[in-house]
Amino acid sequence: MGCHVGAPHVMSRALGWLAVLVLGAGLVMGLGVAPREVIQGNVQRIMYLHVPAVIVAQYVAFAIVFMASIVYLWRRSETADAVAHASAEVGVVFMGVAIATGAIWGKPTWGTWWTWDARLTSAAVLFVMFLGYLLLRGMIEDRERAARYSAVVGIFASLNVVFVHFSVYWWRTLHQPPSLLRPGPATVSPSIRWALLVNIVAFALLYVYLVTKRVRLLRREAELGA
Amino acid sequence: MSADYWGFVAAAYGLAVVVLGGYWRALVRRERRLDSLAQRRTP
Repeated sequence: MGCHVGAPHVMSRALGWLAVLVLGAGLVMGLGVAPREVIQGNVQRIMYLHVPAVIVAQYVAFAIVFMASIVYLWRRSETADAVAHASAEVGVVFMGVAIATGAIWGKPTWGTWWTWDARLTSAAVLFVMFLGYLLLRGMIEDRERAARYSAVVGIFASLNVVFVHFSVYWWRTLHQPPSLLRPGPATVSPSIRWALLVNIVAFALLYVYLVTKRVRLLRREAELGA
Repeated sequence: MSADYWGFVAAAYGLAVVVLGGYWRALVRRERRLDSLAQRRTP
């Protein structure tokens, strides 16, 4: 994992192994411990991958892009810019996993890989907006200008999370409403909920590990002019 | 009772491993490239 042996590197390594450990536990919970769903059968186990990826991408990664972009525009902090950049990149990876696993889940349950349903469409728009954000960063050579423009784009793109979240309430959709992030009592059984929570923690740990690693690389790239 | 579609479950988990593992490997490769660049620049 490179030749750096400082405390941050050791911490990052430990965090990486912790993420792998909890991901392993999540895999056991999702594929073994959680019961077979009565209506959908075992294909519902894709949920333990799809839902954590969505939650971490939308409500953690893109929320952090939103906050870090505001901090950058306010303070011109290079750290805030690096955090926004890294969080957007990891968020796009997680969102890509969420969309792809959703399509794989959709085929046997809905009978189609994709439909222009409000939830799916708004999620795809969010994904494309963040791809555009990353392209914009790559296109502008001047670091300060790239940081400023992408902070503005990052704020607007992140606001789209509100549309994605409420799309299932505002429009008639094929996609079901949230099972966890909703007011009132939970609509899933405790064994399913626990498996889901372990996987959400695993994805959150993986997100923190990847973002800290990416931020460190962005700083080194800036130092070396790479 | 519906069919289980284990092939779809395997495809979803396999794809996640490939994408997340691929991104991690790309970061490691980038780190190594920066390490060698820093070493070359050290007098």
